[in-house]
Amino acid sequence: MLDIIIYGAVISAVYALLAVGFTLIFGVARILNLAHGAFYALGAYCVYTLTANLHVPLVIAAVIAVLLVALFGIAMERVLVRPLRRLPPLAVLMMTLAVGLMVEQILLLIFGSEARNVPSLVESSFNFGGVLLSGQRLLAFFCSVAILGGLWLFMQHTRLGAAILAVSQDPEGARYMGIPSDRIFSIVMGLSAAIAAAAGVLVAPFQSVIPGMGLLPLVKAFAIVIVGGLGSIPGSIVGALLLGYTETIVAFKASIEWSQIVSVAAVLIVLIIRPAGFFGKRAAF
Amino acid sequence: MLKTIAPVVAGSALIAAALAVPARAEDKPILLGINTALQLQVGRDTLDGVRMAVEEINAKGGLIGRKLEVVTADEGESPKEGVAAVNKLTGDNNVNVLIGGYDSGVTLAELPHISRAQTIFLGTGSASPAIQQKVKDDYANYKYLFRVNPINSAKQAASLMDFIKGKLKGDLGYSKISILGENAKWVQDMVPYLKRNATEAGLEVPFAEFFDPQTADFSPIFAKVKDSGSQYLLIILSHAASDVFVKQWYDAKVPVPIGGIDVKSQDADFFKRVGGKAISEVTTNFVLRQPITEKSIPWWDAFVKKYNRAPVYSAAGAYDAVYVYADAVTRAKTTDADPVIKELEKTDYVSPRGRVKFDALHEVQDGPGNVNVIYVQWQNDGDRAVVWPKEVASGKMIDPPWMMKN
Amino acid sequence: MLAWGSLTKTDVIGAIVVIALLSVVPFVGSRYIVGIMTVALCYAIWASSWDFMSGLTGRENFGHSLFIGTGAYTAGFLNVSFGLSPWWGFPAAAIIAVLFSLIIGIPTLRLRGPYFALAMLSGAVVMQKLSIIFSETTGGQDGLNGLSPMLRSQVSAYYFTLVALVVTVIVLKFIALSPWGTILRAIRGDEATCQAAGINVNFYKISALMISAAFAGFGGALYANYQLQVGPDLFDVALSINIIIMVYVGGMGSIYGAVGGALLLIGLTEGLRSFSEYRLWVYTLILILILFFIPNGVIAPAWVRVREWIIGRSAAFTRRASA
Repeated sequence: MLDIIIYGAVISAVYALLAVGFTLIFGVARILNLAHGAFYALGAYCVYTLTANLHVPLVIAAVIAVLLVALFGIAMERVLVRPLRRLPPLAVLMMTLAVGLMVEQILLLIFGSEARNVPSLVESSFNFGGVLLSGQRLLAFFCSVAILGGLWLFMQHTRLGAAILAVSQDPEGARYMGIPSDRIFSIVMGLSAAIAAAAGVLVAPFQSVIPGMGLLPLVKAFAIVIVGGLGSIPGSIVGALLLGYTETIVAFKASIEWSQIVSVAAVLIVLIIRPAGFFGKRAAF
Repeated sequence: MLKTIAPVVAGSALIAAALAVPARAEDKPILLGINTALQLQVGRDTLDGVRMAVEEINAKGGLIGRKLEVVTADEGESPKEGVAAVNKLTGDNNVNVLIGGYDSGVTLAELPHISRAQTIFLGTGSASPAIQQKVKDDYANYKYLFRVNPINSAKQAASLMDFIKGKLKGDLGYSKISILGENAKWVQDMVPYLKRNATEAGLEVPFAEFFDPQTADFSPIFAKVKDSGSQYLLIILSHAASDVFVKQWYDAKVPVPIGGIDVKSQDADFFKRVGGKAISEVTTNFVLRQPITEKSIPWWDAFVKKYNRAPVYSAAGAYDAVYVYADAVTRAKTTDADPVIKELEKTDYVSPRGRVKFDALHEVQDGPGNVNVIYVQWQNDGDRAVVWPKEVASGKMIDPPWMMKN
Repeated sequence: MLAWGSLTKTDVIGAIVVIALLSVVPFVGSRYIVGIMTVALCYAIWASSWDFMSGLTGRENFGHSLFIGTGAYTAGFLNVSFGLSPWWGFPAAAIIAVLFSLIIGIPTLRLRGPYFALAMLSGAVVMQKLSIIFSETTGGQDGLNGLSPMLRSQVSAYYFTLVALVVTVIVLKFIALSPWGTILRAIRGDEATCQAAGINVNFYKISALMISAAFAGFGGALYANYQLQVGPDLFDVALSINIIIMVYVGGMGSIYGAVGGALLLIGLTEGLRSFSEYRLWVYTLILILILFFIPNGVIAPAWVRVREWIIGRSAAFTRRASA
């Protein structure tokens, strides 16, 4: 029982981190960003290159990686996505998809398909009443919670945060109020990329760092956001908790094989019963 | 003296070659088609093993007067790519023989296409018994299939049983083991077999499960294994993310040692790739720098010298495949499939991995003296020691660092 | 025959030229090329069936592989597990795929925008995971092996697939040009107005999905017959996305554009083989350039221009002749 609570918490926290950035850019700019998983992979590979090849200390490497990926996100939005915004939404969707594929191909060319090792920040492991937990997982949990908390403070208590919320609620109105929506889109894409990269950096030590590593997180983020409601930040956190714990419970009580199907099945069920998700305001049909 | 002669010799050789070329169609090179997962280490080593043998044979004047040439096609890890690769090699390049195969599922998908192309296939990586079973079921159409490497998974399972009974129960006195396998065809047959036999041998098997090769978090498995009170976790992994598996095992300091078949851990650089977290993991292997036959150590050293890295099991298998084929062609004096198959069936060849002979299913024979399974453990600083079978053991089996009693 | 009204003589001649070109492939290409082209024709069937539903109604289906996979597995089961002749696989595959389209279509087709796309995608992923979990019957990761080929010769299999593609395109194009297709396009434009005009929108959408699924499942059985193996990769998200890319590059909503897109992109992947490991990279780069500079697709818009040019020339010719 205790193990389910602890492992579930760690997984949910990482899931929330993945989903929040994904839902943010959809809520604000109506972009379903299929390159989201690529941000995550880039974060992990940046840390790998910085530590293994350039011998940068791990903590500094992590910060640099997150910043670099944020810049990449902004560049992608400015150069490739913005010119396509006048076209049907499928054009932008296909473009983000192509960028995701491109990143995977480039990583494959540079690093090959074998898994790379990113060292853990914390090497020791902890024992909570008989439940073993590696230090890196604990760190991932606390960092995720801290980043989510920071994001909440940022949205609630800064002018920029307020502007982002305004654009997401009413883009027309926000523009009349003099909020430069194009710039907000860029900033949010950068922010979303940074959060995804942070997730990549945090889990890299206990996950496979391979070129295709972005696909699974993308699918999970998708599932969580659908369950929670597209575009809703609290929704994505609730969705993450829900999926994280359901998967953990299924893995412990039934089999780890079935836990793989939980997230997709949940999406299907939610779409059929309540398509807008738990917190989605927009009508889905 | 040599210096003055060399150009003359080279010159006359060139003229001879120029004269010989239009003479006979037989003089065009013998093409070896390599179909394997070229983006993986096993695949690259297959290719390098083949190239090494081809260079040696060509340096000695080639095969029945013809040079050997290598053509490759990447089969990735998907049946779709695999079928395309086989069809490209047989339909476009018209190769004389196919050497390769890594993923059993891919190889199984390729079989009808190989049979249709009537091209000999020397398997060097896939372990499913279903592949060679075809030879028995439908000899006329599937006589082209031979497995040089590895020994099939049913025989590997028997060997695992020997490891469980002899090493785990006999030497270490364990009485409770868990079994974990990835959900692939060749493992599905293996796990029930192991569970049944281990139970019959007086061991308790409280946990035996499969998992999806895409699994990214193994914590629940480790928790269950730990709670079951198992003393050893027997693993059977090939396509799954074994790096994630050992990393999570090490980081959580799971108090249960692991070992079994872990194909990725057979790579010489696996220890480095996981930051040393594979320490004390045992995995099966077929070749190591050990005097298995008199050819083993010279071959190993030659490979390391040539490619600057230690070979994976597939390199030895692929190297052998070229020689086995070359022997058969030399005896048959032709590259036509039927006579060569007849000669391949008579193969008796001492290779770096042991003696290579084929049984009625065109399957490489295992057992002492023949190609055999060895159990290799990652020890301190990435050294590898053979811990089983007893006759070839080169070191003592160690526990994970967090379980060392002292 | 009203439905053919908007097709010009030039269109028919163009189609005949393309079919003729495809027919000579076995005479000029190696056995390998014939194999690749057989696969390309299967992709063309999948792409045109995707375009029929999604291109016309604007509901992007991100799980077309669901129908392809069920079709292929149906053919595989009938042949491998029940020992039936491979020919039974074709009608059965289409029927089972239609069944699945009803199961998933009825609850999800009312969804808009990305929601329908995701529902279909999840459906395909669920099927993929189930095919792995129930490995006793499905063969798990390795799938079903050793299907017996319907035609021993690869060349006859190629021509059979080509005929299947031509029939598919004719049928789909016929429906698309009929009043029926007009309603589907109207739904794409403004669903609410259609509903207000008393059109049973859901009926039309579900029927479109059923037709699309039937051809996709049929194509899946064709593919299984070429590959002689079916596996979970046929349910892959990547396959669905590949098909969407093909239609997108071909030009949405024209059916024949999808065929062109499929042939073009498969040809491109093969043509890029000399780039070896850079192949997929170059492929993706070309894709990004197309998406960026020709967002309306290549094949269909290009044909529209060629046709205008031909008609313009022949009109000028007739004028000169009559003068």
